[in-house]
Amino acid sequence: MKPDFSPYVPRPATLVAKNTLSEYVTLFEFAQDSGKTLAHRPGQFIQVSIYGVGEAPFSVSSPPQSDHHHFELAVRRTGSVTNALHNLQTGSKVGIRGPYGSYFPMQKFVGQDLLFAAGGLGYIPIRSVLYYMLRHREEYGDIILLVGTRHPRERIFTDQLEEISRRSDVHVLETVDVPDESWQGNVGVITTLFPKIRINPENTNVAMIGPPVMYRFVIDECAKLGIPQERIYVSLERRMKCGLGKCGHCQINGINCCTDGPVFCYTKIANLPEAF
Amino acid sequence: MVAYIVYLQQIPELLHKWSSSYDVYVPTRVEEHFYEFRPWQEKTHIAWDYDLAYSPLKVFFMPPREDLIHFDLHNYTASPVIKKTRQLLFGVHPYDIKAINQLDQLMGMDGVDVNYQNLRDNTVIFGLEPARVAETAFWAGVDAARVDFGFDLFWTRISPGAFLVRVGSAQGEEMLKMGSSITSATAAEKEAARRIHLRAAARADKQGLGFTWTQVPEFMNKFYSRKLYWREKAKTCLSCGSCNLVCPTCYCFDIQDETDDHLKQGKRYRQWDGCMLEGFSRIAGGLNFRPNPWERYRHRYMRKGKYIFDRIGELGCVGCGRCVKACTAKIANPKVVFSEIREAIKNEA
Repeated sequence: MKPDFSPYVPRPATLVAKNTLSEYVTLFEFAQDSGKTLAHRPGQFIQVSIYGVGEAPFSVSSPPQSDHHHFELAVRRTGSVTNALHNLQTGSKVGIRGPYGSYFPMQKFVGQDLLFAAGGLGYIPIRSVLYYMLRHREEYGDIILLVGTRHPRERIFTDQLEEISRRSDVHVLETVDVPDESWQGNVGVITTLFPKIRINPENTNVAMIGPPVMYRFVIDECAKLGIPQERIYVSLERRMKCGLGKCGHCQINGINCCTDGPVFCYTKIANLPEAF
Repeated sequence: MVAYIVYLQQIPELLHKWSSSYDVYVPTRVEEHFYEFRPWQEKTHIAWDYDLAYSPLKVFFMPPREDLIHFDLHNYTASPVIKKTRQLLFGVHPYDIKAINQLDQLMGMDGVDVNYQNLRDNTVIFGLEPARVAETAFWAGVDAARVDFGFDLFWTRISPGAFLVRVGSAQGEEMLKMGSSITSATAAEKEAARRIHLRAAARADKQGLGFTWTQVPEFMNKFYSRKLYWREKAKTCLSCGSCNLVCPTCYCFDIQDETDDHLKQGKRYRQWDGCMLEGFSRIAGGLNFRPNPWERYRHRYMRKGKYIFDRIGELGCVGCGRCVKACTAKIANPKVVFSEIREAIKNEA
């Protein structure tokens, strides 16, 4: 008899490294025990299990890697699963399911410019797209990265951002809503960065991820720059429980965020009142 | 369609035979005006004239709580738990068959739900022409007075002592032929069954919507933004989720873990959840996408009247009237909601 198959059975993965990114956010590096690559695409998510505690969805933060089986998640400590994750020692096991959901159309972006708008933890999944492009830098046009954070102490991946901003082929602009004494940069919400950038609306795609309140404002700014809606991509957060389009928790009006999303072309959701 | 005649006194013998290979469930009267599908036993009195079973029949394919995986916390392995209980549901009304057909479609979309599918594949369904219409029901108005598939046999009581049994599958026919001296139905008997169906449908029609259900999705779409209406309707909503639980087409669920006392082994199970419950769409950090009862109320009716239609071409409501009975605040009534919205739109035009 054929053994039963269930999509709910996670695969084992091992925590290989932990790096603190901010007071509440930690970067976790996992390796799949199978030795196989995760085979995700930028923007997709996986379900992470801590047996006995539960399962929660996370966007993968590292870019797809064909050459090894490691992947990264950046997680904010906020609920039962994320707290349990933070308490894990390296070498501990977790279960993973996925990758699930839609992803950013990297092929469509080839030869074009990309404007990233990352608000707060939205940088985590954006990072997967950004680093994918940096790996294949010659295939893409101009890259502009806008990063908005509430407070300087909540900034994440600061070393890496510093490193990228030194590159001549990426334009990085950062802002914080509420500065402290040490902050030298721009102050204000992410839209205050828009007057400082120059883009070619004929050739620019937008990838934005942030808190729900951010989207409308950034989309307005993109419209002002003349970027058509069909070149704006967003990723939305919902409470995906099953990841398989069944459990109903992640519904946005009539669509499922887990299978129809989480990455959407703006035209797909522009008419959904529950989207933002 | 192939049809046979089964006499009332032949049924116990058949049930005996069936129960040797299936868990057999039949409608029984639990209390005055209160019917449920219960396991059949020798002495069980089958409520042939029941009007509505209190619990939806999804309980047989998607139990209120069901293990998905068993895991081991030490070596971090997990194995699937998939039930394949052989079940026979005897006496299912067309609207409930329609609800099951709908679940079959929805649970099979975008990747099959293996837990549902295995129970479904191992379940035999014998339909029954309703003898009565529940006070709260309106199934005739939402195209659920008759089903053409989704049953293995379909029984119509054509006289106090006889049933005409239409065959819906080879398996059903085989099971019927396990009885001794089951005879084929004559043309006259088939005609009798047809008339009984027409009479039943006519009776049910009096409690229909009063307009064609195909208009509902468009009305719902137009009325989505009428916050005043939804707020007013849901003013007394207790967010208890009773309407979700009794609904034969609601299938949302939550997933939770449980471990033994030694933290060695455990299980992950799913259990029914409901979009009317307060935390249903809350995400990490506390943001809730439908924080108010009226938003959840609206979502539920949009799902029944529009979203499910967009997926499969029929309303996500089969008109059974269970939610109308179950609602503690007396505000759950798809027929009333659909009709009020239609009326309002008509008056605006």
